[in-house]
Amino acid sequence: MNALADILFGGLFQGSLYAMMAVGLALVWTTIGVFNFSHGVLMMLGAYFAWQLVDWGLTAALAFPIAVLLMAGVGWVLQATVVRPLIGRANLVLVVVITTLAAGSLIENGVLELWGPRSKQIPPLVAGNAMLGGVGVSLHQIAIIVVTPIILLALWLFLNRTRLGLALRAVAQNEDAARLVGLNVTMLYGLAFAIAASLAALAGIFLGGYRFMTPVMGADPLLKALIVVVFGGISSISGPIFAAYLIGFFEAICSYYFGLYWTPALLFAALILTLMIKPEGIFASRSRGLA
Amino acid sequence: MALLEVENVAKAFGSLKAVDGVSFKVEAGEIFGIAGPNGSGKSTLFNTITGIPFGPDSGKVRFDGNEIQGLAGHAIARRGLARTFQRETCFDQLTVFENAEIGATYANEARSGAKARDAAAEALAFVGLAAPSWGRRAGELSVFERKILMLATAIASDPRMLLLDEPASSLTKPEIELSVELIRRIAARGITILLIEHVLTFLMSLSQHLLVLNQGRVLALGNPREVIAEPRVVEAYLGTRRVAA
Repeated sequence: MNALADILFGGLFQGSLYAMMAVGLALVWTTIGVFNFSHGVLMMLGAYFAWQLVDWGLTAALAFPIAVLLMAGVGWVLQATVVRPLIGRANLVLVVVITTLAAGSLIENGVLELWGPRSKQIPPLVAGNAMLGGVGVSLHQIAIIVVTPIILLALWLFLNRTRLGLALRAVAQNEDAARLVGLNVTMLYGLAFAIAASLAALAGIFLGGYRFMTPVMGADPLLKALIVVVFGGISSISGPIFAAYLIGFFEAICSYYFGLYWTPALLFAALILTLMIKPEGIFASRSRGLA
Repeated sequence: MALLEVENVAKAFGSLKAVDGVSFKVEAGEIFGIAGPNGSGKSTLFNTITGIPFGPDSGKVRFDGNEIQGLAGHAIARRGLARTFQRETCFDQLTVFENAEIGATYANEARSGAKARDAAAEALAFVGLAAPSWGRRAGELSVFERKILMLATAIASDPRMLLLDEPASSLTKPEIELSVELIRRIAARGITILLIEHVLTFLMSLSQHLLVLNQGRVLALGNPREVIAEPRVVEAYLGTRRVAA
């Protein structure tokens, strides 16, 4: 019973975190067709905004949503400065890798300058611990497991049941056709980046509530998000979400039976094998779209 | 006053003058044809009028008396100037109904919710896409169905003018006949049509005025029967006749 609970809880927790990390990255790829390599730094910045607001005396319930909204603004500005001016140029994907990496480096060093290198921690979503099936877990982790599917469901409803969501799904598929039906593509690109940055901030707040935060805390989550997105398929946002939970459970099983030391190697072996058989990603179709 | 006035419009790519000082007027309610050999600048001219993906380098485009050459593509679309592309350009991952719905919703801001859905349904029925197909993804449709879906998306926006870029390309003869009939019915709704086609018989059967482009310039303009009889038009299409000595 202990083993099952351990794997189940570990898989759900890691899967939830990976899904939150990856979904914003996938959203930007499916709408604009670029990879935002500052996505990990945006997670870090969101967590630092939340920490600063809590440090100024705001309650977590107030600080966290404000940090998420602030990050929407950061995402919009980031898109307007390092992505939008390059749209339509040759080698857009490669150029944006460089510009977003550069922007990420600037933000990272700015945070280091402003808040210093000392590690920080923000309050958990819910304080306390509990026993589940004989396994001791924090309520913060349980909150992440519960909240993540709600956020992802809200995102799905937004994309599939609202006027703006329909517009985002359209612009993801054909920019010229989108303009032709009156869609303001520039505004929609900004919106996609703003939503992605908000989702990154949420992931950062989740991370900052159970591990120490530093200005370089975004590097590992960015790598994980990239793995999830490539594994799940970069043609949609649902693929990476399923992949996130699959990887979460894969890691939970591997770390239980083979230990943490072997887990990354086994994960990469599985990833390489999967991509050899299905290069477009395990849950992907061959065309791009926000489904 | 003409609904569309194109005045001395030019567009160059480096040293290549793709459109070179083209002028013409389209009256409200007519079907106006544009012909020309491949590479004569027809599609580039459409691009400069609609601003998608680029506007003209110089010259003026007036729609309903207002200059539109500096506006963004989506803003021109919202003024009631719709367009289809030569290649069937749909939102492949959206359903047939969503394709039409997005045209009804965004290109015409007066519509949203139930009004937009009603307009989408009416446009789909008008072009002949039956209700059972509305839930299918656009990417699953045949070439002809995708072409008429493009038309439905444009019609759903309730445009005043529709620019059609080679609607007959890649179609079979029976499908071309259906397209001709459909374009006539669209015009009967009061929508002014500007039509590009390099198949002259297609244009002759539909157009009230015909403009022939060659190497980016206006070669001939006027009554279709008179225009195609002009020696320089024949020469542009068929080349100079060489008589053996």
